[in-house]
Amino acid sequence: MRSPAADRRRPTLWDGLLALLVAAAAVALLFFLRPAESNFLTASVVLEGETIAQYDLSALTGPVAVTVDQADYPLTIQLEPGRVRIAESACPGLDCVHTGWISLAGQQIICLPNRLVISLTGASDPDFDAVTG
Amino acid sequence: MKHRISFLLLTGIFLLCAGCAAYGAVQEEPASLQFFSMDTVMTVNAYGPSGEDGVQAARDAVNRLDGLLSRTDPDSQISQLNAHAGDGTAVPVDPDTAELLSFAQSVSQLLPGDFDVTIAPVMDAWGFTTEARHVPSAEELSAALALVDGSQLEVDADNATARLLQSGMEVDLGAVAKGFAAGKAEEALREAGVERATIDLGGNVTVIGTRPDGNPWRVAVKDPQNTESYLCVLELEDVTLSTSGGYERYFEEDGVRYHHIIDPKTGYPADSGLQSVTVVTANHVLADALSTALFVAGEEEAIDFWRGREDIELVLCTDDNRVVVTEGLEEVFQLYDPDGGYTYEIARR
Repeated sequence: MRSPAADRRRPTLWDGLLALLVAAAAVALLFFLRPAESNFLTASVVLEGETIAQYDLSALTGPVAVTVDQADYPLTIQLEPGRVRIAESACPGLDCVHTGWISLAGQQIICLPNRLVISLTGASDPDFDAVTG
Repeated sequence: MKHRISFLLLTGIFLLCAGCAAYGAVQEEPASLQFFSMDTVMTVNAYGPSGEDGVQAARDAVNRLDGLLSRTDPDSQISQLNAHAGDGTAVPVDPDTAELLSFAQSVSQLLPGDFDVTIAPVMDAWGFTTEARHVPSAEELSAALALVDGSQLEVDADNATARLLQSGMEVDLGAVAKGFAAGKAEEALREAGVERATIDLGGNVTVIGTRPDGNPWRVAVKDPQNTESYLCVLELEDVTLSTSGGYERYFEEDGVRYHHIIDPKTGYPADSGLQSVTVVTANHVLADALSTALFVAGEEEAIDFWRGREDIELVLCTDDNRVVVTEGLEEVFQLYDPDGGYTYEIARR
């Protein structure tokens, strides 16, 4: 005996509901698998291509000063909740000190004479792919 | 029953596909390489299966040029050219070096007085090369300025030789080398099979193709006054953006700030009323050269120059905090922070 459903040619209300459920499930899946957003902001310090330190700026409660003595031109990195700068440097040009504070994911401070780069990652990703300037 | 089973099966496949799509979007990370070259930090990001090969090839291409063009490397061809200044020797150079020297001369002719690759003695007098930055004495500056004359550089592109006619002259390709390297890096990426990439050579940005999601790349322009913000964002494909500004490299003496973009006419840091110039064009090396030359030229001359060409667009940030955007960028330009202290206007032809 054939089921009544098999005899029907036109979709029923239940078919429509089921289709809606499937679509809702797919949307929910996309939502749950989206990139996780967090408030974390991490400063990575890379010297001569090697990561020498990482700091979670979002977990800081007060200012912290870190001296990088192993650099050719020793420098002092100042960390505060949500931002970082190079406060002092023995490098000749001081371009790194002039850069000032950075606080947004994707930003960098570069000390060329030391071949040192401080990069910010985490938090909400920047809404652009590259920076000119 | 059969239909219901088919329906459930389709449901499963649909959910699986949705899941895969979402997972893929999360996982699509580019091959990325950061390295020091040409006295700056460079980052290449390349998407797709050839990404890893592409970024390595791009780095090799840039490093090769650095070896040819560096003025601080005594073995480079530019150092050889400078060492033989005034002794009559036609120094053999790589065809790439000859091409770049010829190009630099052509920019000097396009914007006379605003651009000169023989500016090196003046850069040295200010200490921007040696990093012992200081204001030179009037005598020192005048002696250095006497050695700046692009017409005394002879380039024989057919025989791949170059010669400086006056003793003491020196060439510095710092204003064009990164742009030239960007072109070679893009070639290397494309030869490796990469179709989507970003190349950042110390703030000189080239975008290839589109983002992986098919949309244009979004490139931010630095705010010359505030490192915690940006001037604007531009949405672009297959172009190079080069920015020059007095904020990049400078020193202060007796309370006065002196930046590193020297006006070849005066020997002093350019004071043309601009804080930064961004040039957008498909021609990598032109973008690099013009951002420096138009920064020296100033707003009026820069806009006049733009009106005479179809292949460039500009974003100028003036000393009085106006952002002047040429009309070709009108649809892709967005002020980053409307409350950031800048107003913007569109320059029209």
